[in-house]
Amino acid sequence: MVELWSGYAWPTIIIVLQIVAIIIPLLVGVAYLTYAERKVLAAMQLRQGPNMVGPFGLFQPLADGLKLFGKETVIPAGANRVVFVFAPMLTFLLSLIAWAVIPFSSTMVLANINVGVLYLFAISSLGVYGIIMAGWASNSKYAFLGGLRSAAQMVSYEVSIGFVIITVLLCVGSLNLSDVVLAQRTVWFAIPLFPMFVVFFISALAETNRAPFDLPEGESELVGGYNVEYSAMTFALFFLGEYANMILMSAMTSILFLGGWLPPFDIAPLNWIPGPIWFALKIALVLFMFLWVRATVPRYRYDQLMRLGWKVFLPFSLFWVILTAGVLVTFGWLP
Amino acid sequence: MAFLDRTARGFFLTELLSGLGLTFSYMFRPRVTLNYPFEKGPISPRFRGEHALRRYPNGEERCIACKLCEAVCPALAITIEAEPRDDGSRRTTRYDIDMTKCIYCGLCQEACPVDAIVEGPNFEFSTETREELFYNKDKLLENGDRWEAQLAANVAVDAPYR
Amino acid sequence: MPKLTIDGIEVEVEPGTSVLQACEQIGIEIPRFCYHERLTVPANCRMCLVEMEKAPKPVASCAMPCGEGMVIKTNTDLVHKARKGVMEFLLINHPLDCPICDQGGECDLQDQAMGYGFDRSRFQENKRAVKDKYLGPLIKTIMTRCIHCTRCIRFADEIAGVPELGATGRGEHMEVGTYIEQAISSELSGNLIDVCPVGALTSKPYAFTTRPWELRKTETIDVMDALGSNIRVDTRGPEVMRLTPRLNEDINEEWLADKSRFHYDGLKRQRLDRPYVRRDGKLQPATWAEAFTAIAERVKGVPGDRIAALAGDLCDAESMVALKDLVEGLGSKNLDCRQDGAAFDTSARAGYLFNTTIAGIEKADAILLIGTYPRWEGSMVNARIRKRYLMGGLKVGVVGERRDLTYPYTYLGAGPQTLQELADGSHEFCEILKTAKRPMLILGAGALRRADGAAIQALARQAAEANNMVQDGWNGFNVLHTAAARVGGLELGFLPGQGGKATAEILAGASSGAIEVVYLLGADEIDTAKLGDAFVIYQGHHGDRGAHRADVVLPGAAYTEKNGLYVNTEGRVQMARMAVFPLGEAREDWKILRALGDQLGVRLPYDSLAQVRKRLAEASPVFRSIESLTMAEWGPFGQAGTIDAAPFHCPIENYYMTDPISRASATMAKCTETFLAAASERTGTHG
Repeated sequence: MVELWSGYAWPTIIIVLQIVAIIIPLLVGVAYLTYAERKVLAAMQLRQGPNMVGPFGLFQPLADGLKLFGKETVIPAGANRVVFVFAPMLTFLLSLIAWAVIPFSSTMVLANINVGVLYLFAISSLGVYGIIMAGWASNSKYAFLGGLRSAAQMVSYEVSIGFVIITVLLCVGSLNLSDVVLAQRTVWFAIPLFPMFVVFFISALAETNRAPFDLPEGESELVGGYNVEYSAMTFALFFLGEYANMILMSAMTSILFLGGWLPPFDIAPLNWIPGPIWFALKIALVLFMFLWVRATVPRYRYDQLMRLGWKVFLPFSLFWVILTAGVLVTFGWLP
Repeated sequence: MAFLDRTARGFFLTELLSGLGLTFSYMFRPRVTLNYPFEKGPISPRFRGEHALRRYPNGEERCIACKLCEAVCPALAITIEAEPRDDGSRRTTRYDIDMTKCIYCGLCQEACPVDAIVEGPNFEFSTETREELFYNKDKLLENGDRWEAQLAANVAVDAPYR
Repeated sequence: MPKLTIDGIEVEVEPGTSVLQACEQIGIEIPRFCYHERLTVPANCRMCLVEMEKAPKPVASCAMPCGEGMVIKTNTDLVHKARKGVMEFLLINHPLDCPICDQGGECDLQDQAMGYGFDRSRFQENKRAVKDKYLGPLIKTIMTRCIHCTRCIRFADEIAGVPELGATGRGEHMEVGTYIEQAISSELSGNLIDVCPVGALTSKPYAFTTRPWELRKTETIDVMDALGSNIRVDTRGPEVMRLTPRLNEDINEEWLADKSRFHYDGLKRQRLDRPYVRRDGKLQPATWAEAFTAIAERVKGVPGDRIAALAGDLCDAESMVALKDLVEGLGSKNLDCRQDGAAFDTSARAGYLFNTTIAGIEKADAILLIGTYPRWEGSMVNARIRKRYLMGGLKVGVVGERRDLTYPYTYLGAGPQTLQELADGSHEFCEILKTAKRPMLILGAGALRRADGAAIQALARQAAEANNMVQDGWNGFNVLHTAAARVGGLELGFLPGQGGKATAEILAGASSGAIEVVYLLGADEIDTAKLGDAFVIYQGHHGDRGAHRADVVLPGAAYTEKNGLYVNTEGRVQMARMAVFPLGEAREDWKILRALGDQLGVRLPYDSLAQVRKRLAEASPVFRSIESLTMAEWGPFGQAGTIDAAPFHCPIENYYMTDPISRASATMAKCTETFLAAASERTGTHG
């Protein structure tokens, strides 16, 4: 009995509490990411942005959320009901479970597994299923085309993301994310692998269907993309999933290139600040760049998107893998 | 050389970076928008907003039921019925404007020989139901009474050009 | 045949043609206000000025007869300048209140000001203002708008024959009026509205209601009398807004009688818009199914000879033929379309038609009016007789009442006695008739709507034959009916069959109980008290006498609400067209009868209007072609019999209220009050 308590029940409670401790701030982060997005875009377009609900419009995300809760979920007549409802749940779920392996500091990690990078890569690749299912189940040509585009785009850019991760792994010698962070103690990988950092960031934009690669929901030709038939909570789940994915990709960028929870320099005032704060700041910085790019760059044409993925990024990152490997082998720097 | 130049520009993302720089610099410029419900922009005296039926200063309604506005209305939004009033003068018994049909072209006020139907400066007349947008004569006359000072000023300003 | 050149086009015209008419013949339109083709030419508006070579000034084309070798120019600077000058003078005293003027949109002055007017006035002085005149309950006057074309004065003098209008004062002080205040005492007064080129004379009932551009126009015919005047029904939405005449040289020229023009508000009042069934002694609203069931329950099992049907004065031929087929299907021969009890022989068409035709009156040179008051029984016939009188050389003799006919006549006698003398040739007027080339007689309602009608008809035939009225190519025997449906009913045989009962017998039968079921198709001019205990089905459009007595009321369509054929007193088949839809649950009449037939087990063999018309053509060849006139062969008709010596008396007591529609009309009620009630009370000091 005691063994049952201390061996199973107590650890389960602990894990559940840990999960809640990750998810709640994450969802709040998603909510305020939408607020930040609207404010940043407004600032860059000389507008005000939301400013009516609460001080500085700070309650706007809550109001939007309440509104979505209050709406009616419409399921189209020709839709496959099971898949239609399951798709947003899958997308949302996948965007959350990836966080299991993200290290917030040297000790704060839910599952410090040795194949963390692989796990992340696998989970983010699964995200495409939610979108394809949504596109297919809606039984609408716009949703279907949007879903197809989205899938093709995510698959294309995952290839170069894979190569970028390989270059990082070559320098680290481990698939454990904490090890990846700790390998950057001397210098962040963003500096030696700067081109890969850029490729990774751009691919992350494509992976999360963000501007300028937001073709799947290209309003002008596809109305709303794969989620055109979704409303109320099903739509909200897609929305939350997408923004959680953005945060996740930012977290990956920080971990792989910006030294995760580490301060920029391991010196007095900087290393007083706890690791999770540094990590959050870095994520915020990358997210700001997401928004900044959206405010600046117009949408790509679909053929340009594919050309960039397959004819520029793929050969370039492949070349960089070989270069990195060659350098590491030649100089015997292999970890 | 040009090829190298172009490739280098593409490779080093210089155009992208300058674009990002531009948007970033915009973040710190003053906002150009108005805080609408609390601040409002200036309105031309010819602004074509909500309709109103005006009265003469002695309280007599101006409209004489000539039906020119009804005839000229391209959206067929105006419906008028008329008959002699007890004193024998020509007046409308019904003057309806379907504001959901109206396209705010201002032809009605141009057609009006007595400046009775005018489009006033008010543009904040949204309603919760469509039915409230089917204006009848009472509503239009009430609008006229409420906005008369401004309507008269607008007509006076525009008079030299008509 | 003078030959002249107009704008370089050579044209040869009849002698006496005016330059304006010559221009019209070659399609050049000359603006005009005072000139009207059916009125005399005063040439006082000066709008029709044209340039004539060798003339020092522009000439008024309406008054200038064409001469050999004339050279006319209608489109020169001089002409335009002259017309613009005239227009400026006309507009000096015109109030330019087009926005509140009912003529706006169909105003000659407005239209021509677009061509010859200027957008501002040089006239700085005050405009003159004229007090409005009272011209009765039909005509509204705004005399400030008057441009003194004098068309109204000439119309009243010449066409209407009531010289009550005139101009007083001169120059700027000229005013058109009635000298002493009075309503225009003519049944043609509504035409003043059409004749007036500006908005000085407008329609009082129509005042301020609609604009011409809002109206949907349907060309149809009038049913207020038996002449079938051509009219245009102007509707807005589901409402008839006004009626205007339509040109038909054969019937009404371009005029229209007042009752025909102003009865339309009766179409909106006292209408039957749903079926009613009498329960517990009261008419209560019902559905069609309930009404049909009530009829079927009562009618089934009643032997055919105990069923009767009467058709009213406003029925179209389609509904009458449907009712005829229905009632005959039930085994009855008791049907009659002469609800007023007029008795005449219908064996020969010539015996009940206006054989001379209305236009033919213009060829007659002696007219004998027998028991008729054509001003009320057929205003257009009277207008035509007056037109013939104005041509000169017409002799008119009257047997019947001594009343004002707007032209002089010789009064011959009051009753059948005089007619007998005319038939014998012993009357002195026979000399005139015999010397006349084309004599004619008109037999009116006063002569035929009597129990001895058939005998009087025979006597009149005798008189016609004795006085040379029936010749080769000329038939001077005319019956002037008053009901629009009458000739149609006679043509298709809506009459008692072998051994069937006529109107008087049907009513007597209903009183005594010999007739159990009476079907009234819009028949209101009967004495409903005589219907006794009979089960009465009333089908019609107004809640009038018939509907009040009825046990089941079926709502039908008025003449503006259905496509129907009517035959006028000449035997001319004309089509009335649907201008608005029937009111409420009301339906076209033949469709009601077709549906009722199914309920009663008498399947009427037609499902569409075309099939009903085919059935009509079978019933009478007259219906084979619409808008055409089938002349009648002369043949023996009438039944000699004892003749009551009572004088002929016009049965129309009130011209303005003769049928359910006009009885429901407020305008007609006002006319009755003004013209009839007041006339009887008027004393020498009145007015």
